[in-house]
Amino acid sequence: MTIEAINEQLLRAIGVGVALLDRQTLRFGFRNDTFEEWFTGETEQTRLQELFADLDVTAMQEGLTQSGRYASEIRFKKKRRTLVVALDFTAAEEDVLVLVCQNITRIKELESMIDSYSMMVERNTREIKREKEQVEKLLLNIMPRSVYEEYKTFGVVTPQMYDPVSVLMLDFVGFTEMVASQDPSVTVTELNDIYSAFDRIGEQFGCERIKTIGDAYITVAGLPDPTPDHAKAIANTAIRFVRYLNRRNLSHPHQWQCRIGLSTGSVVGSVVGIQKYVYDIFGPAVNLASRLQEISEPMEITVQDSVANVLKDQFDLKNMGERTIRGFGDQDIWRLYDNN
Amino acid sequence: MAERTLYEKYGGFSQVSKIVLSFYDTLLDNDEVGPFFDDVDMSRIVDHQTKFIASLLGGPASYSDNQLRQLHSHLSITDAHFDELEAVLSGALQNHGMTDEDVEAVVAEFGKRRPLIVR
Repeated sequence: MTIEAINEQLLRAIGVGVALLDRQTLRFGFRNDTFEEWFTGETEQTRLQELFADLDVTAMQEGLTQSGRYASEIRFKKKRRTLVVALDFTAAEEDVLVLVCQNITRIKELESMIDSYSMMVERNTREIKREKEQVEKLLLNIMPRSVYEEYKTFGVVTPQMYDPVSVLMLDFVGFTEMVASQDPSVTVTELNDIYSAFDRIGEQFGCERIKTIGDAYITVAGLPDPTPDHAKAIANTAIRFVRYLNRRNLSHPHQWQCRIGLSTGSVVGSVVGIQKYVYDIFGPAVNLASRLQEISEPMEITVQDSVANVLKDQFDLKNMGERTIRGFGDQDIWRLYDNN
Repeated sequence: MAERTLYEKYGGFSQVSKIVLSFYDTLLDNDEVGPFFDDVDMSRIVDHQTKFIASLLGGPASYSDNQLRQLHSHLSITDAHFDELEAVLSGALQNHGMTDEDVEAVVAEFGKRRPLIVR
């Protein structure tokens, strides 16, 4: 067998479609077996344009004149399967055009599959991200951000001492009777409105709402970041809580009356529980705020002696004399008024 | 922890992509169910098959019953067609080394959709 014969054998058997054309007439001279297999239909097409009707012949001729090469892609159906073939024209000597065809169907199918898959994955990733944000939002509702960051990083929260902070404890007068006498769902809806307003007010003065237990609302100034004027912040918040309720009561059939106690001291903040964890604070300041709230009159703010001393210069306060406070002995208590 | 899906068990997308392609090949050559795809664009068929296999194996795709009913509502798919596709599906799964037990589980999942697809 001569080298030429071997070459021709190879050219015929190769898995790439090869054809030779006349550059001028675009008539086929030679087609290898693969080419025949792909493109020979019932009738024999002798010219390029007949075989590939979609091919832009003008563009091809231009490309050949400029660089001697032209590449294109054609799609056609074999039975119901779309075949994609890459065409590569090269101008050879003596007006011969070499056409090399590669079956890139599988590549195109894989590309489509990757598109499909990546779209599914991207959509899922977006969903997961959204869910993560939801979870984060929920957790941030029950603990300060810095505590949440610690929880996220280490999986636990070390109890931390905050000293000094100011604590506000609020409770509604006659809430139990209200729930019993009114439609409970209405009462709860209103309570939700009021708490939401309290949250917004507290936020303005840098207070962190710790929790609500039924009709009791606890918020703290000076936590998690120390604030030098925590007492003023809590006093301003308390005054605006009362102001808000007074205004709300003017236009609502249900009258909401609150009692407020303000105290200063140290507290320990931590996440408590494992499955149903809550962020909570503990310490004498919390208990004292609760006692002061209890001895407060409706729509009045009762203030611990040491808090009153800090506030005196800027707020309207009245000494209520000495009282015995359970667990805290005898102390002077004060009443804080809205001087506006 | 959530239970491991078949999708994960059989190697995720890199392996499942092979099942999809062989399923795609057999399906188009099949003269019973192939004609449903006669006039459908290649990328759409591939997209469809990728999601089909992924959703059956518990991968990153899922269709609600309503979506499936809606998507097939314009096709006259008979029980015979459905049976044929079931055979093609279980063939493709078996050819890629899925255990008989798992193939059965997938085919059972597939079978649950019959009332949504067949009219």
